[in-house]
Amino acid sequence: MRGDARSGRVVVVPDVVVNPPEGARDWLGDLAMSGWGVLALPPAYLPAEVTHPLVAAAVDQVIALLDGGYEVALLPAGNDPGMRRFVAALAASGRTVADLA
Amino acid sequence: MKTVCYLAHCLLNANAKVDEGARCAGVCSPVLALLRDRDCTIRQMPCPELAFGGTHRFWAVREQYDTPVYRAHCRRLAEPVAAQIRADLATGARVILVGIDGSPSMGVQLTAADADWGGRPDKPRDEDYPVTLGAGLFTEALLDLLSGVLLDVRVVGIGQDLFDYDERAELAKLRATLDDEVRRAG
Repeated sequence: MRGDARSGRVVVVPDVVVNPPEGARDWLGDLAMSGWGVLALPPAYLPAEVTHPLVAAAVDQVIALLDGGYEVALLPAGNDPGMRRFVAALAASGRTVADLA
Repeated sequence: MKTVCYLAHCLLNANAKVDEGARCAGVCSPVLALLRDRDCTIRQMPCPELAFGGTHRFWAVREQYDTPVYRAHCRRLAEPVAAQIRADLATGARVILVGIDGSPSMGVQLTAADADWGGRPDKPRDEDYPVTLGAGLFTEALLDLLSGVLLDVRVVGIGQDLFDYDERAELAKLRATLDDEVRRAG
């Protein structure tokens, strides 16, 4: 293979970071510039039968990253339901991650 | 009309790539810039290999992943993605699926297949990676779940897993797909 450029740092973000409303801060651009990889949670408006398995998949991926020694952080997202569900599901698996400093 | 792009996970998180396979630190900024320039809505698909094989997995081929358990894993991950795509199509959005050509899971037009490939690959040269025509296993599962609406979904692969990856050419391909889809929709 060709060598590796990965940063070893991943931040979990709500959908609004990936698809910001007009005029909002471009968090994704900032994270990209800082070398963070991004794991985006599903949009809040989707039905539970869609969001729940996607959030469960996000938890599985974060556990794999943590087990691989990667730094994982959360972008604080206030009352974003996807983020709340993600944090609860991660805690239920016995894992936690800190907010992005 | 909105354009919704479903991205292979690693285009926003190169940390999910196979060991030694990341071409950037995290977000593939040129792809992000292009999608932002075209005002696309971005959706990130799950990486089927990350949770299955972990972060230290080698660069495998389809045959190594092609087991009933991995196919079931791909289908389980693809089901909510397919539901999301159908919901986007129902709103009248254009949907473009952006995979990773050369990947055994996320390949679109090109994947990697070789009956003899296994263990830690002992062929250090990138050009020995057995790329072949066809889709990856996750892409296959997702396209199967989209039967009936497939004609409404454009599919394009970014060749990040090809040894002769040419970022400029791959971006031009993505740009052409986006622009063609806008033209097609009138």
